[in-house]
Amino acid sequence: MIPVTRRHTYMTNMILMTNMRFFRAAAGAAVMAGLMACGNGLTDVNRNPNNPTDASAASLFTNATRTSVERWLGTTYDWRGGEFMAQHLAEVQYTDEDTYKRLARAFMTGTFDAAYYQELEDLRKVIGKGIAANDAGIWAPASVMKVWTSDFLTDSWGDIPYSQALVSDSAGGSGKPPYDKQQAVYADLFKTTSDAATALGSASASLGAADPIYKGDPAAWQRFANSLHARLAMRIVNVDLATASAELAKAFSAAGGVFTSNADNAALVWPGDGINDNPLSASLQTRDDYRMSQTFINILRGYNDPRLPVFAHTTAAGTYAGAPNGVNAPTAQPYIVSASRVGTIFFPGATSYTTFGGPGATLPSELLTYSEVLFIQAEAAERNMGGLNSGQAALFYNEAIAASMEQWGVTDAAAIASYLARPEVAYQGGTAGLTQIAIQKWISLFGDGGNAWFEWRRTCQPSTIAPGPAAVVSYVPRRFYYSQTELSVNGANVLAAVTDQGTDNFGTRVWWDKPASAPTCAGVTLGIP
Amino acid sequence: MGMTGKISRFLAIASVVFGLAPALAQAQGTSISGQVTGTGGAPIVGASVSIPTLRVGAFTDEAGRYSFTAPASATGTTVTVMARRLGFAPSSAQVALSGGPVAQNFSLSPSATQLTGVVVTALGLTKERSQLGTAVQTVSSGELNTSHDMNILNQLSGKVSGVVMSQSGTQGGSTNIVIRGQNSITGDNQPLFIVDGVPISNENHGSFSCCGGLAIDNTGKDYGSAINDINPEDVATVSVLKGPNAAALYGSRAANGVILITTKKGANSSGTVQTQLTSSYTWDTPSILPDYQNQYGQGAGGEFLFVDGQGGGVNDGLDQSFGPRLDGRTTGCNFVPNSPSNPFAPHTYDTSVPCSQFNAPNGAPWVAHPDNVSSFFNTGKTLANTLAFSGGTDRAQARLSVGSQQVEGIVPNNTFRKFNSLLSGSLNVTSRLTASGDVQYINNDNHNRAGTGYNSGILEQFVWFGRQVDMNVLRQNMTSASGGLYNWNYDFHNNPFWLQYQNPGEDVRDRVTGNLSARYHVADWLDATIRTGSDIYRWQINQDYAQGNINYTNPSYAGAYTQYAEYSNANNSDLMLNANKRAGSHLQFNGTLGGARRLERYNNDQQYTAGIIVPGIYNSSNAGITPTLTSFVSKRQVNSLYGSGSATFNDWWTVEVTGRNDWSSTLPAATNSYFYPSINTSLVLSDALPFLKSGPLSYVKVRGSLANVGADAAPYQLQTVYIGQSTKFGSLPQVTLDNSQKDPNLKPEKTNSGEVGLEVGLLDGRATFDMSYYAKSTTNQIVNLTVSPASGFQSQIANLGRIDNKGFEALVDLTPIRTAGGFQWNTTFNYSQNQSKVVSLAPGIDTYVIYTDWYQNLEARVGQPYGVIYGYKYDRDAKGNLLLNNGLPGTGAQGVIGSIQPKWIGGWNNDFRFGSVQLSFLFDFHRGGKIFSVTNMWGDYTGIFKNSLKGREVDWNNPGLVIQGTDAATGQPNTTRVTAEQYWESLYYNAEQYTYDDSYVKLRNLRFGVDLPVNFASWLHASSVNVALIGNNLWTHTKVPNIDPEFSYSTGNAQGFEFATIPNTRSIGLNLRIVP
Repeated sequence: MIPVTRRHTYMTNMILMTNMRFFRAAAGAAVMAGLMACGNGLTDVNRNPNNPTDASAASLFTNATRTSVERWLGTTYDWRGGEFMAQHLAEVQYTDEDTYKRLARAFMTGTFDAAYYQELEDLRKVIGKGIAANDAGIWAPASVMKVWTSDFLTDSWGDIPYSQALVSDSAGGSGKPPYDKQQAVYADLFKTTSDAATALGSASASLGAADPIYKGDPAAWQRFANSLHARLAMRIVNVDLATASAELAKAFSAAGGVFTSNADNAALVWPGDGINDNPLSASLQTRDDYRMSQTFINILRGYNDPRLPVFAHTTAAGTYAGAPNGVNAPTAQPYIVSASRVGTIFFPGATSYTTFGGPGATLPSELLTYSEVLFIQAEAAERNMGGLNSGQAALFYNEAIAASMEQWGVTDAAAIASYLARPEVAYQGGTAGLTQIAIQKWISLFGDGGNAWFEWRRTCQPSTIAPGPAAVVSYVPRRFYYSQTELSVNGANVLAAVTDQGTDNFGTRVWWDKPASAPTCAGVTLGIP
Repeated sequence: MGMTGKISRFLAIASVVFGLAPALAQAQGTSISGQVTGTGGAPIVGASVSIPTLRVGAFTDEAGRYSFTAPASATGTTVTVMARRLGFAPSSAQVALSGGPVAQNFSLSPSATQLTGVVVTALGLTKERSQLGTAVQTVSSGELNTSHDMNILNQLSGKVSGVVMSQSGTQGGSTNIVIRGQNSITGDNQPLFIVDGVPISNENHGSFSCCGGLAIDNTGKDYGSAINDINPEDVATVSVLKGPNAAALYGSRAANGVILITTKKGANSSGTVQTQLTSSYTWDTPSILPDYQNQYGQGAGGEFLFVDGQGGGVNDGLDQSFGPRLDGRTTGCNFVPNSPSNPFAPHTYDTSVPCSQFNAPNGAPWVAHPDNVSSFFNTGKTLANTLAFSGGTDRAQARLSVGSQQVEGIVPNNTFRKFNSLLSGSLNVTSRLTASGDVQYINNDNHNRAGTGYNSGILEQFVWFGRQVDMNVLRQNMTSASGGLYNWNYDFHNNPFWLQYQNPGEDVRDRVTGNLSARYHVADWLDATIRTGSDIYRWQINQDYAQGNINYTNPSYAGAYTQYAEYSNANNSDLMLNANKRAGSHLQFNGTLGGARRLERYNNDQQYTAGIIVPGIYNSSNAGITPTLTSFVSKRQVNSLYGSGSATFNDWWTVEVTGRNDWSSTLPAATNSYFYPSINTSLVLSDALPFLKSGPLSYVKVRGSLANVGADAAPYQLQTVYIGQSTKFGSLPQVTLDNSQKDPNLKPEKTNSGEVGLEVGLLDGRATFDMSYYAKSTTNQIVNLTVSPASGFQSQIANLGRIDNKGFEALVDLTPIRTAGGFQWNTTFNYSQNQSKVVSLAPGIDTYVIYTDWYQNLEARVGQPYGVIYGYKYDRDAKGNLLLNNGLPGTGAQGVIGSIQPKWIGGWNNDFRFGSVQLSFLFDFHRGGKIFSVTNMWGDYTGIFKNSLKGREVDWNNPGLVIQGTDAATGQPNTTRVTAEQYWESLYYNAEQYTYDDSYVKLRNLRFGVDLPVNFASWLHASSVNVALIGNNLWTHTKVPNIDPEFSYSTGNAQGFEFATIPNTRSIGLNLRIVP
């Protein structure tokens, strides 16, 4: 029996202990609740400290321009396919691109895809910011770059997503844009360059130094817009002469005019700092598997072209020689020794295989040149289009060649004069003149294989361009296969485009690619579906 | 007498009903009674005591007592009385049935079985296995350390059902582990790892393009899984919580299951220190190398002459082996005239010209070097030591272990060193308060890991290696006279020794993990625990490239480097109340209530440049080209409240409910709070209906569970951002919109899962079966969906889709032989099959590209299992014949080639013991699933694999193959002859040709051990000394040619693709274990 007092203590202890337990449990719960302190603070934790949610139009423009030029005048497009299809260059080790094998769907998908989600999307943001600021000095140059880029897309693939593209982050915007007919794309490209050119007439140099091409100069962009307008207009000459003529007239008579000297060229000058190098020189740094094409060298050598020593190296034998396009690897391989490399100006100083010196790292990439504009004018004149007449053709033609010489650093006036006087070169007018214009334009486009390929499709010149014996198709491709990504995730729209345009293969001709009325190039188009 | 007594009576009635013991009706028998106890004299409840021959018996009550009566008809005979209880070795006694009462006690010693005992479950809570309603498999340290593989994950291989693993092969490399199939399309599908209650990072650095995608340096080095830092010798048990049901209390981290690792602790040893030493030394060799041809040397079109290795000679810039026949000729390796354009025209070798090679420009016999790849590899050596001290008193216990691992790799100049130290201790501060903690320091230091993948991998080179190349010449001469690279080809390859000796690579990881906890015994039935723990590491990776390296370096400069540093700090704190209360003798309640906070901080910084100025100084102050810098910081916080409650009725029926609410920082405020419930039940049928135990059955349990868990997003997925570049265009800043469009309205992922299970023990636990069937479905997947590029984005973050997984797992554990002489054979087989199905993606989207390489995709396609190889197939006509152009097969469009999911996987382990000798071995089975082998694609293309001999000529003038198929131009059967070279090259990027059935059987490990005599052990003051011969990865049977089918070059979700992985090693070695 516990004494009363003790019992009391015991009871008290019991109560105390119970309370203590309760207290401890409650304290625990309180600590726990404090630990939770859920809710608001958490949103702050997720504030991204790494990246901004907005960017200046200037920094976006710089990047988009660099990215776009790197793509279309670099190794993912130009030296991937353009230069081989145009047969400026040939592959001499593994010939997969040159035989068109590695231009199939799998291989061009990345180029198509990235053009949209990289430069075109960024350019769209710049245009939006420029319009919001009511500043044509911002939106108009971006619009011109958008046209320059979109032209590569539509000329390479035909119908492309365009009018409803790039809007998935806008209210109601579709993530699966339909494909626009190429004709509609062209119509909008014309409108865009016209609108940009008009607006640039009263714009200020808002982009300033952030514009790596013209430092924001509105007058320079206006000339680029008009010149680009002329390039596009001439492209459709075989399919819609009237529109081509009207658009050429518009380009030539627009305020600001077109390029009037090589100083006007749209050129991206590369810093050459080891990071932003001319993409061709960056490739030559480690790759030695391209040589001059026989097609190209044979014509230049035949004409004793003064640009040849600029375009090409001599071989060990001291001569200029080309390699055949589209042969198998064992056949191609001896040409590593016996065919000419590209000229010193393309080389980046040291390479991993030999040292040529060369300013290649800083070599400008030419988006559009005075010489090309003159060739367009020469052709327009010969065809009596765009307000010009055939009597003016020879002048434009000769000036175009001279401009190209100047552009490539050929200064020997006597050599140029004797070149212009050669029977093959001296302007003959008529159909022969159109052929001469096409061939000379093809020569001057060295380094822009895409445009050289587009022009060949339009003019069939030079007619010696033909697929090599190991080519996987018996014709030079007239377009690329659509993107595998697009087939996967935007398949219905791709199929609609295929229904509109024709089978999704190398052979289907895009809208403007109709057989030329003149000149004709018999034989080369054999086998084209 | 309680419930057990009632059950005994029930049993008696049941016995009558089932006619088991007709003699019971007679009253004049011998009554037998006694007590069954375990070691230490504790009574054993529920043991069966019986006379099998007479089919009579009873079960023990709560005091371990039993009593039954043998029939009078047997009086006068002597019978065997057996006492059996699952989890104990049975015991028997001879009893003479006298007619009067007989007393017979039994003492049972425990024996291991998969079906009883205590397991560690979610939150580190221990539970009776009998009360567990979900699938949890425990692997003990004894089972783990048979193979002494220092990778804890590899040690689980083949031992746990439902778990699929793949390794990337490199020593110190990583392992991908997936439990019950992938739930998430793009998220992490690997389980959560928890060591002593604290989550541990298993950051994956095993993918092809590691470490944030170093632009210059796509090294593809496998930097290992962070979980490998754990020393297997420190592990007491590993509990695998298979999927959402078992792991529900982990809420948003539970969907992929949890691997709970409990480390060894000190115990009360009355103050003495116990020392344990384990040592092993193994010799490692490549397990599988490709089967090379040795009949044709380097070259193309049948000819080869070396001048400069860059195309200056005949085909000498090319690196394939379609050159002249390796017949020992010394002249005539090129044709006269040199015109291979028509391969079928007659060719004559020019015998006036010597056959020149890279090491013999003036000619050398043209012979094969069959061992030129295998001789590149060394015999690797792995020395692993662990020394552990433990001890304690009744108040304080501690354990300290120090472990080291030193590896000399199978590739030259590759070493790997790991050092672990783990200190753990606990202190009973008062009778109510226990404080415990542990701290672990780990240092990993790896020199010159071999790269995998295409750009600088060793094995990449070995799918091109000219068959006449003498490896010894390359070994002896890495640099040329002019100081540059010396090699057999200068267009595409670095000398493989140059890669290992001239391009120093080092990666070091310093890691500290630790936790502190205090447990207060509030009342008999209530404990409160507070615990905090962190996992902190810093990881530095440097990779340098010497001047003259043919890739990554700008030739105008003196070399290149890349540096990467990563810091991670994950802290988890918990406060938990655990209640355990018995209400009378029939009911037991368990409850847990807790709160937790998880805070993760992570950042990485990297820099690289393609050009340094002074050779050999690889840092930013010596950069000639401005280094490109990137950095990334992330933070995530998740707060949680959770609780569970269970009731156990009569020790045989348990029902448990759990709930957890998480608040995650990575989701929008509107959806960042989410609740995850689960319910499970376990019914021990053999205790509920004891008559079940009277036959061969000794234990039957059924279980079932439903759970809903999920996952939050990665940080910063709510708002689309712009991305700047550290490098300027001249001086101009460059910024681009992110290619991934974010979603401000993300919701958490959800996984609903149900499972049922059956556990059966037969013959006193000599045969046990544990089976589960589960079905789970994950919805609202957070996916970076590939969208139409024309939308302006490459991908879009979105909640979408549903993936279902259902499957069956079984574990069989048998002891076919157990003799009185001490011979025992124990064998276990586990089997798992999982069927996965992508039920839906976003509206209108029927595929998601998980991974793309070599122009082939790994996709999640609606209606297909997760992970189908969607690749380029042969061009075929309507009848399925190959369509051929100029005699060569064409590659058509992409299509589904097969699923990477295995049909089933299994492991078969055998363990033989005879006295002091043990033998164990484990086979792994992997049936079905597809693997796309880029190694095989290139090995055929380059003509160096034996397979590519098909169609080769006698010597160049009668070459070729006529491929069976339809000529695309004529529609007629093909008659055009092509060369083997043309044929094998035409199969480039044809995934249909190079996708294989990934079935294999592996002898994963074998151990033969001997306990040295006890007197020798005691001379060493040890209780036992064991020496063993061990072997890992000893034998593989597979139909996949040339590669180890187990490996892929990624340990992330990109499974099913293989290329140029360093071969897994076959190790043979010795192990010594001294136990105090």
